[in-house]
Amino acid sequence: MTYPILETERLILRVQTPQDFPAFAQMWADPIVTRFIGGAPLSEEDAWAKFLRIAGHWALLGFGFWGIFEKPSGRRIGEAGILDVKRDIVPSFHGVPEIGWGLLPEVHGKGYATEAVAAIIAWAEGHFGRVRMVCIIDPDNAPSLRVAARSGFKEFARTTYKGDTIAILERFPT
Amino acid sequence: MIPILSTPGHAADRADPLVMRHLGKGDTLDAEEAFKGFLSMAGHWALMGYGVWQIEEKETGRRIGVTGFSEKKRPPEHPASGAPEMGWSLSSSAHGKGYASEAVAAALVWARGHFGPGARVVAVISTGNDASVKVAQKNGFRQFATASRYGLGRFVFEREL
Repeated sequence: MTYPILETERLILRVQTPQDFPAFAQMWADPIVTRFIGGAPLSEEDAWAKFLRIAGHWALLGFGFWGIFEKPSGRRIGEAGILDVKRDIVPSFHGVPEIGWGLLPEVHGKGYATEAVAAIIAWAEGHFGRVRMVCIIDPDNAPSLRVAARSGFKEFARTTYKGDTIAILERFPT
Repeated sequence: MIPILSTPGHAADRADPLVMRHLGKGDTLDAEEAFKGFLSMAGHWALMGYGVWQIEEKETGRRIGVTGFSEKKRPPEHPASGAPEMGWSLSSSAHGKGYASEAVAAALVWARGHFGPGARVVAVISTGNDASVKVAQKNGFRQFATASRYGLGRFVFEREL
């Protein structure tokens, strides 16, 4: 299967291969990364299960998460993409493309997440049509809430998910 | 529209206490966690070129479980690290028919071709799981170590292909 590669002014988004796993595992072992996503750093074993899940999501559903690589160095600086993992959440949004992103702390504040999310939304609208999309964000995660707002998402529900309060945001085609 | 993938047989097994009592933490999984596990199995084939098969009963075509091999990236100090790890689980309605041993035997034949004659494989089985211990022993696995996870004891088995 050939997977899409997205290019923006400063970033390359490509589907990850096993060579990307060490950088992936290092990112998910960082408590600053997991503070608002998942809540606890991942062991290498748990990071591997997540990495495999991303690969399986692409293989079975034809969409998923890309690794984000900074131009021109090619350094992996995070990940973002589209998923549907049948979240055990109320209100349910199974069947609606969910957008997600996570970047290394040292590249926060450069607008990279917004740049990546814009490219992903454009790809998603080409792939799925101009449909509603959602994202979930820890209400204390102000930087990600700003990325979401800049990308056209608005909060429509607040709920408890895996024991934590979470905001659910939606975006309608413009 | 986005594609919807339905995996009812897998989700039912992961929600069945009789299937799950000796796996992981011994707890059943909700539909989300079961689906994530299913995606990881598919991703393992995609990235590693080997993995876990679904098992179907020929007579009915019914999906009755899984067996196969995984890289789990366990910590290096774990006795099962460093070799492909074999696992199996059968739907509770398919227990007691010898299906697990039959499927494991077929997977081992495939593995000898894939990993090479003499390659070592391992299996980790909860200490109370007598049925699975029998499946392992029937298929030439020897227990060589113990381990513990989530406060539960494990036997660690190995064999050469």
